[in-house]
Amino acid sequence: MKSDLTKAFADYAKDLNQASRDENIQKAMSRAVKSYRATTDETMRRFPHTPDLAAEVREIKTRAIQDNAALLQEAMASVERNKGKAFYAKDAQEALRLALEIIGRGKVVVKGKSMLGEELHLREYLEEHGNEVWETDLGEFILQLKKERPMHILSPAIHVPREQVADIFSKFFQKEIPPDIAAEVGAVREFLREKYFSADVGISGANVVAADTGAMVIIENEGNVRLSTGAPPVHLLMVGVEKIVPTFQEAMKVAEVTWRYAQYGVPGYVNIISGPSKTGDIEKVTTYGAHGPKQFYVIFVDNGRSQMAGDERFSQALHCLRCGGCMYECPVFQVTAGHFGHTYLGGIGAIWTAFVSGGLDEAAPLLYTCLRCGRCVERCPMRINVPGMVGELRKMLVYGESLPGEDLPEAAVAGGVSHAAET
Amino acid sequence: MAVEMKLPPVLDIIRGNIVKYGNPLALKGSEVAAWAKGLKLPKEGEVLFYTGGEYQLLPFIDSLVKTMTHIDQGSKSFSLMMGVRNILDKAGFNAEKVYASVLAKDRERFNSVCYKAAFVLQKLGYDLAYAGDEELYSGALLYELGFWQDLKEYAPKVRRMIEKTRAKTVVCLSPHAAEVLKLVYPKMLPGFSIQVRTFVELVWERRNKLPAISSAPVVIHDSCRLARELEVDEEIRDILIGAGVPVREAERNRQWTTCCGGPGKLLFPELSHVMGSRRVTELEETGAETILTSCPYCLAALAGGQEKGDKTAVEDLIEFLFRGYAA
Repeated sequence: MKSDLTKAFADYAKDLNQASRDENIQKAMSRAVKSYRATTDETMRRFPHTPDLAAEVREIKTRAIQDNAALLQEAMASVERNKGKAFYAKDAQEALRLALEIIGRGKVVVKGKSMLGEELHLREYLEEHGNEVWETDLGEFILQLKKERPMHILSPAIHVPREQVADIFSKFFQKEIPPDIAAEVGAVREFLREKYFSADVGISGANVVAADTGAMVIIENEGNVRLSTGAPPVHLLMVGVEKIVPTFQEAMKVAEVTWRYAQYGVPGYVNIISGPSKTGDIEKVTTYGAHGPKQFYVIFVDNGRSQMAGDERFSQALHCLRCGGCMYECPVFQVTAGHFGHTYLGGIGAIWTAFVSGGLDEAAPLLYTCLRCGRCVERCPMRINVPGMVGELRKMLVYGESLPGEDLPEAAVAGGVSHAAET
Repeated sequence: MAVEMKLPPVLDIIRGNIVKYGNPLALKGSEVAAWAKGLKLPKEGEVLFYTGGEYQLLPFIDSLVKTMTHIDQGSKSFSLMMGVRNILDKAGFNAEKVYASVLAKDRERFNSVCYKAAFVLQKLGYDLAYAGDEELYSGALLYELGFWQDLKEYAPKVRRMIEKTRAKTVVCLSPHAAEVLKLVYPKMLPGFSIQVRTFVELVWERRNKLPAISSAPVVIHDSCRLARELEVDEEIRDILIGAGVPVREAERNRQWTTCCGGPGKLLFPELSHVMGSRRVTELEETGAETILTSCPYCLAALAGGQEKGDKTAVEDLIEFLFRGYAA
């Protein structure tokens, strides 16, 4: 087979050039980079144990990825023991099918921000199947209205200034919203509050999963995840298999390193969810669905991750905590934002694009955009060698090689993991 | 399933030139070695002075990029032009004819960097050997662009070229050459154990012998390869401070240095230019009058990133140190 990428490169170069001339992007990015560096420097001084903790987390993640198949089994068993329902999805199609089976059609869904959701095009899929889905993260909400994709994994609407937000909101809410950030936040708060309590299903991702307890850790600042996962009668959590670590204690370490490098300093909320809401207050009889969701579903998604895990050159890409720190240091990202990316962004995004979200040809232009300058490695708490992996993938591209694991039979790719009990 | 990808043609052109002519732009050996005519350097010796032809090809890269910036690489006319080039390549690449836009003063400047480097090292007491028109490019771009199999086949030629000089140490002007010889070759060539040093390291060892240089404040642009892969950064400061030069520091420096954008030049020339300009701004914010770097690609990218009428000078450390002798 032959795939002509010359046009894709030319179109992509035009897109990058345009982004680098976009004043909104330039203004937003220079503010963001400055603020990221200042906050991170300050919080590192305040919590000087962080780099050592990051080194410890590197060890935890390395072991966890090696033992991923076993940890997945353990985590699924823990979820089931906690009276949740656990599923394993081999690929995107299966993940979407499972989600739709759980949610059904004609439902109102509130959703927290999730990169996995972006990878699966989850919202669009559920909408196509007759559901009303609301992004509850403020940035994602703006992009939902704007019909655009995220330009940063943590600050998805990083490129949209307040004046533009005011225009979009005024049109949507059909009333004048001034270009005042507090007023803009207030308008969304008022609108979504009603949605949280009328929604049938809340969807979230997770930053870390503890296999021993089945605890799902979700870091946030806005409180939207707390409401999305707490108010509706059903909570569906979808998470990549790489997020599992052995113990609750280790999960806390991973979480702390994640939020510190993600510029949160101290996050507003850390949600830990292990099962459905329950009470034993009347006659000690356990009853589910007290104040929170009565049903709790977890879909563990592979979608190329075990392929990465199985190759020592690429397994470290799964250590990524999605803190987004690398992007602020990337000279290309600084001028183009998420235009340097597909679903996953920046240099690490090029690796993820190749394995889980588009394949090698989609990744090709990104792989050649990376300068291999290595400053992302300096920032990365996991010290992921992105330039090294970019080199390996370029090699595969120029010689027409397949990604590792692509020629293996399905069972080997899935790492021998069996599916969970059906509901 | 393996899928053959058709990538932008410039990649394969660079690959082909290196493999066939020992130089990314197929410059002739005599052109690459022209700078050394007056020096009569021996072809054998303990310390091999290695230019890799990198400073020499800079003015040509710029004009290649200028051509590409105006042509859509996916278009027919680009392929057609590359076809014409390929025909020319068969008879050797006549750079002057194809790139009439290359200014003589640029050629002279970049060629003389090699001369100045050799001059400075000789003054510091190093006896240098030089392979002359037999010198081959290191193959760093083969590594960079993903042509690792080609590099594996090409590297033995470079090894033979080096071994022929009986050198124990290779001194590289370009950190890209130093990186590939020091960190990549040993993995590809069993028993390749020649000592690889950079120009900066050799100067640093004998920095006490350098003449003082009277200069307005300078700022150092650390090259990514030098600062991060080769961990050479403090040495440049020691050298300059020892020579009495006031050094200013950019906010992002040493292992946190900002890339000049140079690596993106071949495929994304406009974006590369934007990054170069931004780095120039970061460096100029220090108020220094001269920006110094120690990498041919940084030198070209930063000089290209300057605005018209910009009063700040962009120089290679080699050029700057040479001034100490010219004064």
